[in-house]
Formats: sequence, C-alpha cells, structure tokens
Amino acid sequence: MKTALFDIENWREIGATLSRNKTRTLLTAFGIFWGTAMLAMLLGGEKGLERKLMKNFEGFATNSAVFFANRRTVSYQGFNKGSGWSITFKDIDAIRQLDGVDAVATTNSVGSVTVSAGKHGTSAQVQGADHEYVRVFLPKMFSGRFINESDQVNARKVAVVGKNIADKVFPGRDPVGEFINIAGIYYKVIGVAGQEAEINVGGEKLDDQINIPISTLSRAFNLGDVVGGTMMTAKDGYTPTQLKPRIFRVLRANHPIAPHDDQALFFFDISEQFAMVDKLFSGVNLLALFVGIGTLIAGIIGVGNIMWVIVKERTQEIGIRRAIGAKPLDIVTQILSEGIALTFIAGMAGIIFAVCALAVVQQIAEVSFLIGFGQSISIMAIFMILGMGASIIPSLKAMKIKPIEAINDK
Amino acid sequence: MITLKDINKTYPGIVPLHVLRDINLHIDKGELVSIMGASGSGKSTLLNILGILDNYDSGEYWLDGVLIRNLSENRAAELRNRMIGFVFQSFNLISYKDAVENVALPLFYQGVGRKKRRMLAMEQLERVGLAERAHHLPGELSGGQKQRVALARALITNPSIILADEPTGALDSKTSKEVMQLFRDLNTDRNMTIIIVTHDPGVGEQTSRIIRISDGQITV
Repeated sequence: MKTALFDIENWREIGATLSRNKTRTLLTAFGIFWGTAMLAMLLGGEKGLERKLMKNFEGFATNSAVFFANRRTVSYQGFNKGSGWSITFKDIDAIRQLDGVDAVATTNSVGSVTVSAGKHGTSAQVQGADHEYVRVFLPKMFSGRFINESDQVNARKVAVVGKNIADKVFPGRDPVGEFINIAGIYYKVIGVAGQEAEINVGGEKLDDQINIPISTLSRAFNLGDVVGGTMMTAKDGYTPTQLKPRIFRVLRANHPIAPHDDQALFFFDISEQFAMVDKLFSGVNLLALFVGIGTLIAGIIGVGNIMWVIVKERTQEIGIRRAIGAKPLDIVTQILSEGIALTFIAGMAGIIFAVCALAVVQQIAEVSFLIGFGQSISIMAIFMILGMGASIIPSLKAMKIKPIEAINDK
Repeated sequence: MITLKDINKTYPGIVPLHVLRDINLHIDKGELVSIMGASGSGKSTLLNILGILDNYDSGEYWLDGVLIRNLSENRAAELRNRMIGFVFQSFNLISYKDAVENVALPLFYQGVGRKKRRMLAMEQLERVGLAERAHHLPGELSGGQKQRVALARALITNPSIILADEPTGALDSKTSKEVMQLFRDLNTDRNMTIIIVTHDPGVGEQTSRIIRISDGQITV
C-alpha cells in the first residue's frame, strides 16, 4: 500500500497535477518565491549594510575620543577671547597618569615634504607619532614594526613608511633597513604600514603617510613641545565622556583657560558614535525582521488562500477520486504534498534569486552581502513548515469532501 | 451478487425525509438491471447506498458476500475501489488528465506501479475502442467517447458490479445506443453485473430487468 510522502508514484501524480494547472501553480509559486526572496534579501541587505558601515571602524579602538586645543571663547588672565593655546608633552604625560585613561596617542604633523631614496622620490605628509599610537589606531603592518617607546624617548631617526609611499619610493622591494631622505634628513625605515579603517584623524590615511617619532619630528622641524591632535582610549568601565572633566582639569592647571570656558577644548567621543551606530542597527535589524515576518505571513496566507481556492475548485475532482477509491488520507497527502512541493521549489528559486541580487549589490558595495547557508536553510525550513501549516486547513477541508459530491455536482 | 434486506434511510432535518422504506432486493451475478423512478423517488439514494457512497439506517446490504454496514471511510474507499465501477451522467473525468491517465487512476489508489497502470489502462481503452484517443484530454473527446473512457475506468479494477447513473443522460440518441450496446456486450461477453439508474424508458427496455421505485418503495 502507498500512503507515505516518500512514494515515487505519489510524487509523479503531484508533478502531473501541478504541471497541468500551470497558471494556478505559477500564481501560488510566485507568492512563495517573492516571500522567500524578500526575506532573504532583507536579511542579507541588512547584514551587508552593517558590515559596510562597520568596515569604516575596523582597526580602530572604539572606546576612544579625539581632542585638541581650540581657541578660547572667554577672555581670561589677560588672554583675549579668540586667542589660541596648545597642548604640550607635559599635558600628555599628566593625562597618561589619570585614572581610567588607557592609552594616549599624540600626533603632530608637518605638511607635504619631499621624500626620496636613490632615484625614486615623491612628496608625502610626515606625521609624528608616539609609542602609544599602536594602542589606539591598530595599524596594519605589512612588514617591520611601528614606533616604540625607545624610538620616542631617544628621538631616533627612524620612519614607518606608508604602503603607498613605499611602493613609490622603494618599488618592488621591502624597504625595512634601508634609509629614506625626508626633507633633507636620512631616516632608517623600520616598518611599512597601512590601515583598514576608512576613517582617519588628522590628514591622510596611514598608507599615504610617513610616521616618525613625535619627539624626532619636534626637533627636526622645530615644533617645540607642542603636540597636535591627540587620541585617547578609556579603560574598561570608563567612557571617554566620563574622563573629559578630569582631562580638562589637568589642562586648566597647566594653561590659563577660564573655568567655564568649555569650548576651549575640542573633545569628540567616538564611543558615542559607535553606540549610535549600534542603536541604529538594532533598529534596522528590528525593522528588517518586522518587514520580513510581515512578508512571510503575507506569503503564507497567500499560499493558504490559494490552496483553499484550489480545493474549492477541485471539489468535484476530489469527489471523483474519493468515489473511485481514494482514502481520506490519500487526499490530505495529495493536497499537503502539492503545497510542500510548491513551497520547496518556489522557495528555492526565491533564495537563489535573492542570492543573485545580493551578489550584484556585493559587486557594487565591495562588502559581503551574502546570507549564510544556515540562514537560507532556516528561511526554507520556516517557509516549508508554515507552507505546510497553511495547507493543512484546506487539505482537511478537502478530506471532508464526500464522494457523493462527484455525482451530485453536475 | 447483491442482496438488500429491509433497507431504510431517512435524511434528518426539521421535517425528516424517509427516502427509502423497507427496500428488499436481490440481484444475481450477470444480471443487467435498470432502476427506474421519477426524481425524488429515492433512486439516487438507493444508488448511493449500492455504491457505498452513503450509509443506510437499518437493514442489511450484502455485496458479493460482504456485509456493507458501518464501514470506516478507509474501508468504504477500498471496497469502492475494488468492487464497484462507477459510470456517471456527467462522465466525471478529471479534466487535466488525458484518457489513459483517467482510466489508470483507480489503480493508482491500489498502489499499482505507473508502467503497469498505463499498460492495463491501454488494454481497457482498446476494449472500448478508444486506443487511438489515449492521449487526448476529456475536453478533446465527444460525449460518447468520454462515456467510453469512463466505462474503461470503471472496468479497470475488474469490479464485481458496474453502477451507472443516467449513463446516457448527456448523450444524443445515436451515441446513447452505442453506449447501451457497450453495456449489453459487457453483460453478455463478460457476464458483468450491471445496474443502470435511469428515468429513460428506452434505456430500461434494453435491460433484462426493470426495478421501479416510487416514494422510497420498490413497486415491481
């Protein structure tokens, strides 16, 4: 006897039924196709967008803040409103001592200068960085190392060359150990660096810069003890905004700034931006889920609806089948199997369509928009189960059709 | 072949309808019988009971030695499939299946494999003279051809009886004669027990026995 879902004869019968009613089959299939495609595209699109945005922050300590000296906005101790001031190495040393401060990377830069080695030369921005730079910016090292504390304390004439600069000045070779002429002074190359993050603080990306110890920069370019932009990271349990008053207290102790002149220090808390993006994506995620579930339900109701209509339309056929010997279970199996077969094929097509669409977006956006294999399988599984659930009511209705109806329904 | 003993059937309702009253009937194997009566006489209900499509309230119905009473849906379906071949007035072929698939369908519910089904179905179609129309859909066949396909479908399970409900009701007089001839040939050549429900006296005359029913009772 045959009753099982796994009977080849059964599937042949279902295949025949579905293929002989093309319009009906196509309409039902389209609902499911669109539902799965929408859900897969929504989920993939949302993930891709998140990846795309997060790529901007790659290689970047997140619990961090940028600060630098602004002009005074309040006249104080003989310094007029609008006069400038500068953060110095002394301030930085004091800030490093503060509770809750993890690392302070301070930089200063001179504009574009000529750099060369042998026959090759170019112009590049030269930045002074200290040994804590690597703890905040997480540069990507192609070879060698970044500036360390010893380089900084001893003001060594060493340079970390950006990847793009290295390619121009030392074409086709690893420059570590060689010398590079920067504005007339020779520096030993200790590393080649680049960055993964899209954002950068102050000037060029690391790939297009040359970094030398900030102490060396100050001497070579006569910058005194003044530093430029500073970036700090907070220890776990602290936020940069919490630390801002402490940092300001240190700076006010060393510089004549009015007690209520909060504008004299530019302070930008990156962790707040992160939190915002994070919140934004929880929102987007929720929206995608909401819309996705909506689409899913609409698709499933569509399937159930069409199956219902199909059963009504086929009342006589089902009656005939019952009259010539189909058992109630045969009819339920048939209607359910048709629903499952349709859901499976159309759902597959929907996911394949979505993957293709996401692949095109991926080509343009240069970030992975693909949904995982497991995720697509679960979308399929959810659709199969719901598709089956939606077919149950119509199939039970079909089961109740009496064979007499085949005769009476003339 | 068929024995009915004191069969009663009432359709419940605000005014209960007593459609069959103490029906007693015996039909032997190989008989060609017609059941005649006006509409509302109870002949359709009798046919439904004979075809195991409906239940009766009291009495006994023996079909080929099997007592047909209080059967489960599954058992009823199985008995219909194996013991009864139906021919309907409106043919009741499945419109999207071609002739050979329609004829083969009862065997599908017996779990017969596809190849064997098609082979047996072709045999039956040849028997009713429609082998060359095997791959036509019902919509592409004439009324007489459709009824012959339906007859082939009724015969494929080699049933104990053929039940025909107004088999010529939708046919013109010429094709009616052809179809009736087919029934008669079946009866004489294969000793098939055939019961035809009709209100057409012309059809009744061509059978060996006429059972008249009126107001739920057999009058002859």
